[in-house]
Amino acid sequence: MKNFKIKTLLLIAFVTLLNTSCDKTLDLEVAEAYIPADLDLNASNWKTYVLTSNSEVAVAAPKPTSDPAYLKELDSLKNKIYPALTPANKDAIAYWGAGAVYRWNEIARELAAKYNVPPASNAEGKYPVPDAANPLADPMFPFANPPYTARALAYLNVAQYDALVTAWSYKSKFGRKSPSKIDASVKTLLPVSDLASYPSEDAVVAGASYTILIAMFPGEIPYLDTKLAEAKNARVWAGVNVPSDITAGDALGKAVGAKVMAKAKVDGMSTANNQALTAGMIEAAKGRGIKDTWLSQESPIRPPMLPNYAAVATWNFDKATMAQIRPTMPYVVGSAEWNKDFAELEEINKNQTREQARIANYWADGAGSYTPPGHWNREAANQGHDAKFSEVRMARTMALVSTALMDAGIACWEAKFYYYTPRPQQFGLKTSVGLPNFPSYTSGHSTFSAAAATVLSSLFPANATEFDAQAKEASNSRVYGLIHYRVDCEMGLVHGKKIGDYAIARGKLDGSGL
Amino acid sequence: MKKTFTIVVFLFISFSALAQMPHDAIYMPKNTACLAVSYGNSSWKEYWENTLLRENLNMGKHTTQNVMPMLAVGVSDKLNVIIGLPYITTKTSAGNLMGQKGFQDFSAWIKYKLVEKDGLALHGALGASVPASNYVAEFLPMSIGLGTKTATGRIVASYYHKSGAYFTGSASYIFRSTVKIDKDGYQAYNKVYNTDIVAVPNATDARAAIGYSKKAIVTELFAERFTCVGGDNIRRNDMPFITNNMQSTSIGWYGKFQPKNIGANARIAYVTNGLNVGQSMSYSLGILYQFNSLKLLKQKN
Repeated sequence: MKNFKIKTLLLIAFVTLLNTSCDKTLDLEVAEAYIPADLDLNASNWKTYVLTSNSEVAVAAPKPTSDPAYLKELDSLKNKIYPALTPANKDAIAYWGAGAVYRWNEIARELAAKYNVPPASNAEGKYPVPDAANPLADPMFPFANPPYTARALAYLNVAQYDALVTAWSYKSKFGRKSPSKIDASVKTLLPVSDLASYPSEDAVVAGASYTILIAMFPGEIPYLDTKLAEAKNARVWAGVNVPSDITAGDALGKAVGAKVMAKAKVDGMSTANNQALTAGMIEAAKGRGIKDTWLSQESPIRPPMLPNYAAVATWNFDKATMAQIRPTMPYVVGSAEWNKDFAELEEINKNQTREQARIANYWADGAGSYTPPGHWNREAANQGHDAKFSEVRMARTMALVSTALMDAGIACWEAKFYYYTPRPQQFGLKTSVGLPNFPSYTSGHSTFSAAAATVLSSLFPANATEFDAQAKEASNSRVYGLIHYRVDCEMGLVHGKKIGDYAIARGKLDGSGL
Repeated sequence: MKKTFTIVVFLFISFSALAQMPHDAIYMPKNTACLAVSYGNSSWKEYWENTLLRENLNMGKHTTQNVMPMLAVGVSDKLNVIIGLPYITTKTSAGNLMGQKGFQDFSAWIKYKLVEKDGLALHGALGASVPASNYVAEFLPMSIGLGTKTATGRIVASYYHKSGAYFTGSASYIFRSTVKIDKDGYQAYNKVYNTDIVAVPNATDARAAIGYSKKAIVTELFAERFTCVGGDNIRRNDMPFITNNMQSTSIGWYGKFQPKNIGANARIAYVTNGLNVGQSMSYSLGILYQFNSLKLLKQKN
């Protein structure tokens, strides 16, 4: 009898555990469609980044809504497309309904994570350089490391923003209403605002995003083709655009995307990996008083990540300003201040707490992730979505954050290779997050995070305390993960804040009044 | 950026030492118990990155060590309960990855003899495990475990000849729970999951052994196969992750010598083939003590 009880108890315990084990539902972020809190009808006049004006790219006038061609489009929405919708179509409508800028940034982060893997060494002990002409070979192109990803996201958001400002101008000029406002019998599966529907803002974002992303991730053209087609179709399936809204928007987006990519092609990135410069950089750093310089801890020795990334064009300040705001000389190895910072790391090396490990892991954003710029891109997109921003205001938000992040990357890399300081691992410490392969001072995480948090605090002042705390935690995470000295992080935060302020200053003068 | 790493099959750490294991056909008689404390060591220099067997100069030799107390109790002659809790440490001989240490997963099994006739027997075992500490699961291959709760159903067939020769075969299905990690987003299956919850694939295992058991001696040769049900592969030069489809085939030897209450056992195993796991050589040594009467023990207390 006693045995039976034990058996029963064990069986109940097992079944309970089995039930919890079988439940593999993931609690994913759900992003839903909304009517924008403000249609930002004055956005036609917001200052663009790359385009010289909101009429640099022309959009032909649409046919009047009384035109037989337009009426045929309406009829097709009602009588052909809507009745034939499949469940897969409806899923696509709901997915893209979350917002075009929102979803295309999510796609960009996903591609960054997919391509953020460092090349493996070959049989000769060398690291082959990824080849843009052969993106799917080993190693894949690109290696979407933090500087690469910061740049890709910045151009993506700038293209989205410039294209949307242009679109807003034509929307206002042509004033063609959305299908259901012209014909009330058109069934819609997404909320419809009073915004003019020609050219379609969703197609504008799709065309612009597609053009940037196929250039940044050339191995993903088939995937991006699918996404582009789905993004455009979803609007028609949902009954909120006619095909001519979409065609015009797609063409506008692609034209703006091409202009933005033309700027990207000559922004200096092609020389960012100039490894021939490092010998001179090391000598220059020694001349500045850095006794122990950085050395790759990988085996075989890996050339540092993008040593000449500082040559890339910045968005919100010039190179003279960049030199002025460069963090001051770091602590020299063996100095009392350096010894104090090192002692802090030695203690963590011996007794890292679980909370320190958690923070280090949470902010690691290392290989295989969308990187720290991606982390803050996600935060910005979620904030804009929660605030029910219009597409154009969402794009402005993302562009302000992304350009600040790219500027942070450029300025931080400049400081890293200006001082060329050693990582703590050169003095025997381990790491719980993996060691980045470039000089220590200053911390990229700290610079990226302070820049993004500063911009976000300006855009969403109610959450400023939270952003500031997040940036500080991201900064601390690099000490807890043992790959940065305290001074790297503190100076990175100060530097990042200044960089963020330049993006805010740009935003204050862009005519949005925001 | 981070370097590349790989994996340990933690699952094989469990239950490598005791005589009365969830996969064998031996039972503690009613009201007796066996306590075992084992030391295990598993190491590899090469691992399968997806299907590519490679070394990693930034890790050198990866070593996992464990100390595990285990207790098997004879509830009846046909029903045993087995519990165990390993303490694990990891380290590498090269590179700068921080070794991890801690109590891994507490596990409990019940094993029941379903049928027995003429030396042939069929047994059922149910097992469950839960992480015994809040260890980091996402820092593979340095993590001490995968962080999942598991529930296992196992069927064991055995044949004992009166000469002492025997055969056992077993197969299991292992349900593995989702895991909450420290990050709130991760890459798996070439997608980004914007959550801190990770679905770890379920798994199966199978084992076959032939051996000889007489008086104080047990000696057997075995082959084991572990396979995840789904999962993704380690990408080229990327780190492993807990969603990976880990698979391995191992061969080994197990022996036990227990002339009286005190005994010892040993096990050695080698991974001959795998996917997303290290090609490990592992061994363990254990000391056993048998309590002949649990009731007597209780009275003394």
